[in-house]
Amino acid sequence: MSISYELVKHYPWLPSKKIHYSGIASKDPVDFIKEKIAEYPDGELVDRIFNIFKTAFENIEEIKTYKADELNVYLYTILKILLYINNSIPIANRVANLYSKHTYNKLIREDNDFNLYSICKDLELEIEYHDKAVPFGLIVEKDRRQVLQTRFSIHYIDYLRLASNLRDDYRKLVHNALIKGFVLIEKKDLTRLLQEVVRKKLIIEQTKDLSSLDDFKNKILEIKEMRELNERILGEWELKKEEFEYSFEIKYKKGEKVEESFPPCVEDILMKVDEGQNITHIERLFLVFFLHSLEIPIDEIVNLFAKLPDFDRKKTEYQVEFAKKKGYSPHSCSTLKSYSLCMAMKYKDKLCLEGYHSKKLDSQRKIQHPLFYVQFKQYRKHKPKEEVKTKTKNE
Amino acid sequence: MNNEIFLKNLFQAYYQESNKDIPSVSMLDRREFGFLLWDNQFMQRHLGFAQLDDLRQFLIKKSPKHAYSSGSLYSRPDDNDMENKGYQGCDFVIDIDVDHFYTECKNDHDLWYCKECGTNGKGIIEKCPKCEKLKITRIAWICDKCLDIAKKEIIKLIDNFLIPDFALNVEQMNIAFSGHRGYHLKIVDPRIRTLTSDQRREIVDYLTGHNISFEILGLHEKTSIFGLLKDNKGWSNKIMAKLEEILRMDPLEIEHFLRDPHWGNLTALRVNSLLNYREDFLEIINGKKRSIWSIEGFGLPTWKKLLKAVVKKVGAEIDEPVSIDIHRLIRYPGTLHGKTGFKVQELEYNQLDEFNPLDESNELIDPIVFKSKKQITQKLEITDVKVPATKIKGITYGEYDCGEIIEVPHHVAVFLLCKGVAKIV
Repeated sequence: MSISYELVKHYPWLPSKKIHYSGIASKDPVDFIKEKIAEYPDGELVDRIFNIFKTAFENIEEIKTYKADELNVYLYTILKILLYINNSIPIANRVANLYSKHTYNKLIREDNDFNLYSICKDLELEIEYHDKAVPFGLIVEKDRRQVLQTRFSIHYIDYLRLASNLRDDYRKLVHNALIKGFVLIEKKDLTRLLQEVVRKKLIIEQTKDLSSLDDFKNKILEIKEMRELNERILGEWELKKEEFEYSFEIKYKKGEKVEESFPPCVEDILMKVDEGQNITHIERLFLVFFLHSLEIPIDEIVNLFAKLPDFDRKKTEYQVEFAKKKGYSPHSCSTLKSYSLCMAMKYKDKLCLEGYHSKKLDSQRKIQHPLFYVQFKQYRKHKPKEEVKTKTKNE
Repeated sequence: MNNEIFLKNLFQAYYQESNKDIPSVSMLDRREFGFLLWDNQFMQRHLGFAQLDDLRQFLIKKSPKHAYSSGSLYSRPDDNDMENKGYQGCDFVIDIDVDHFYTECKNDHDLWYCKECGTNGKGIIEKCPKCEKLKITRIAWICDKCLDIAKKEIIKLIDNFLIPDFALNVEQMNIAFSGHRGYHLKIVDPRIRTLTSDQRREIVDYLTGHNISFEILGLHEKTSIFGLLKDNKGWSNKIMAKLEEILRMDPLEIEHFLRDPHWGNLTALRVNSLLNYREDFLEIINGKKRSIWSIEGFGLPTWKKLLKAVVKKVGAEIDEPVSIDIHRLIRYPGTLHGKTGFKVQELEYNQLDEFNPLDESNELIDPIVFKSKKQITQKLEITDVKVPATKIKGITYGEYDCGEIIEVPHHVAVFLLCKGVAKIV
């Protein structure tokens, strides 16, 4: 089923692009880029691409310069080429997250259900559209009785392919209505799945064949405008990257830099967040509780989450503030182990695995809480060197 | 004669006689095969067969103790390195094995003995009640009751999940009696083959109800406790329908279910409380009003405990790792199980209901292949501390004690020898 030309301009990642813009795939990428740059001599093409990267690096959720025009289709192709030649997972993840979030916001505003249905069909998703909304649940509260209903259902195989990566517990198949092979799904949740489709289209796997990548990259960067554009992008990235790194220099309540004292369980989640990967609900909670315990400012915690694919600033602010008010403590090591979040083995962390020698008890003690890990590392850091040395010997 | 040589010869005779009955599986040439031979305790795997006849010849030649093939398809199934096998997808395999879940009959036929002090007894225990040591050897047995429970589990899985929820039809399901303690079901659907282990885990959770969150299904506490709604499609409906069914049972049965440590594990006080409120609660379940669950003595933790027991009743008892692991090997249909001498018997869905592996009247699907028409018997000496009673073909044999000399029909002798509890005299 082919999709309309207009819809492809709105959503240039749709497979039907190949039908309406068959010329793109058949052309040599260098010739294609040269041709398009010549077609837009005012620099609009280059500026709009740069703007996407800049917006992504600034963690803003909306692409202001996004226009559903012909240029949007060419721009998308060149954007993908740039992500490929730079071969940088953090850059690609940031762009993929921004672009997919922007797409989500566009799709959610689509009031024509048929467009959503056509998009799914174009993506070869097995989807059903019901003429009459199908009720699948009920919310009964004090003065409210709301029937949950939807016109969409998606085959469970497609649902699993798209939803299993999202990690939210409520998206698990066991929490959804599965009838005759199809999961009844609300429009907003279906749109969220499409966001994931778009994100996956833009993320890259680091290329191992560096020589052919270099050949291709050199050819692309022989085009003056592309070379200049890429330099601008990388320049912007270097600038912002420092800011990201700086933002990780979280201050401990005593005014100490504490990030190098984080236990591996926290490091692992932070690394995922930094790469813009999806993290689980439990991982989010643990990270928020942990950072609250270190009295990290709410803004900094919220900004940390801004890199995530499903980031919603208002919601995150509310949840982070709520957790702060409640004063929850972070999970203990044993709880983390039960959730498979203990990373001691993965990172072969000596302190986690072997524990420490307690002078007071004159015995080897296990680390039982990630906050104690931080305290212990901080303690070691501030002990006079000799004392630490002796202590290490004793261990 | 050595037991193993005796059994190998018998297995060989079976593979020679029934060679043409060994069935094929879909895309046989892309499956990896594995065998446990009589003289080697290590699995010989990474084998491939271009055609069914090659496999049949191998079975005659080697007459393995156990024979397996992969649920996965590979472009090079015989490559020793998993990385180089060229993985192409995996069928969804379900294993229901009574050894993995509680059945009451285990208290009658499963035996244990303590390697430290020699004490023995029936049932399942963690440590020796006499010397309190953990060196316990378990003799797990089978009976028609537990095999019937396994059969009911596979029927429940098909009727309550695979057909209505996953819209699978019975032609897509390869069902087999495993030859020992349960059943295998392989879903053959090209779309399912593409699923990753994580995605398979989601299906497993759906089939078992594991990792379900009652909060996500609606259980919460504000000023009162708000429960699940039967009108909500999916697991909410399954749980509430089952809970209603339980509450409509005879009060004694309800009590038994709720008090049993393997199910509800509730105190007598709470069970009484629930029974007292039973009618009101049934009205709430079927009412259209808010689902306020207010029963004396029932806080959120007690409700969760009760709901967990109901989920256990609704879900199917499947061996989870088998379905999640995409590189597992499963028993090949038509081959013999080295721990029983029974055949891994393929079954049609409509044969399941009547099927009785220990006393099957339909010759065509009888897994007990070593029956002797001439009523041949075999003399054996019992070598294990104790051997539980075994009912095969309607006749009970045993219990037996160590050192006892017995004379049993051929098929029973094969079973006891395969079980490793006797030797030929």
